[in-house]
Amino acid sequence: MTAVYRAIFGYCFLVLMVRVVGRRPGRQMAPFDYILIFFIGGLTLTGMVSDDRSVTNAVVQVVTVAATHYALTRLRQVWPKFGLMLDGAPVVLLMHGQWRTEMLEEMRISQDEVMAAARAQGLTSLSEVGYAVLERNGAISILRAGSVPDAAEGTGGGEHGDSAHAAG
Amino acid sequence: MATPRTRPVEDSISKVGNELAVGEDLAFQRRWWRFETTIWILFALILAADLSGIFGRGPLAKASAKTADGTMKLDYERVLRYETPDVMTIHFGPNAIQNGRIELWVSESVIKPLGNQRIIPQPKSSILDGDGILYTWPAASHPNSVSFALAPSAPGSQKFTVRLESTGDTITRHVWVMP
Repeated sequence: MTAVYRAIFGYCFLVLMVRVVGRRPGRQMAPFDYILIFFIGGLTLTGMVSDDRSVTNAVVQVVTVAATHYALTRLRQVWPKFGLMLDGAPVVLLMHGQWRTEMLEEMRISQDEVMAAARAQGLTSLSEVGYAVLERNGAISILRAGSVPDAAEGTGGGEHGDSAHAAG
Repeated sequence: MATPRTRPVEDSISKVGNELAVGEDLAFQRRWWRFETTIWILFALILAADLSGIFGRGPLAKASAKTADGTMKLDYERVLRYETPDVMTIHFGPNAIQNGRIELWVSESVIKPLGNQRIIPQPKSSILDGDGILYTWPAASHPNSVSFALAPSAPGSQKFTVRLESTGDTITRHVWVMP
């Protein structure tokens, strides 16, 4: 029975950690960010598994994690406020040639990272960027100046991408 | 033929600059950042608590207790961790030796919830005695000490008692086992 509680606690703890630590998964991750993901996952596992190395424990905990994940996704669907807490909301970092410094500081995003996303879109300078949006999944979407509202191409698949990986 | 359910697309995503549908929620974002700050403070407190031993295995966790005349002294940890090895040591004074042996009664809780794994040195005999076990060691002179290697098997508050049979001195303590 404790295996179920340990799995629920481990899952929810990881969701909170990833959410609080920052919105930098996937393509925006620097090599040292991977260390964080491996470590917090590995360390949580030791507490979840404890000394029970049986297949039964593994099956029970995998099913528990899957059920908890399903419950959170359903909850997110029926209660948008909860979805906002779980995934966060997109944040505009740059708008019409103006940095939104509060966003950059609080989201711990550097101007270099925005420029890197702009380069990936074929832009050669920040002056060509109309909007830079930090999406829920941690990707930075770049909209070329003058392209709004017609073009909406981003590096990370847009804000309605797979939010199962969202963490910011 | 069955048709999928549909509904018209509504422009429900809030816009930034009245042109870009982003769904940004600045009020929520600021509340979340305040929450994050609180969480980071909590993380710092957790680290400080762990370094000081509040969660076990640190200076504040270490404790000792002794009888009035110092015949028996107990070194233990106030906070233990679930299924994590720990050692409880009992030191005996000269009065503890009677007829060339030391007899110590230990409550059953040391065996069950506190998970006694082994006793160093091994007792010559162990006898079930009420709610505990009576251990006997041959002893010629002091100083003498006995260590119990523990690995708690149940989290929460646990009470244990040790009693020296030669003098009747008893020490009872509560410890906390972290999950």
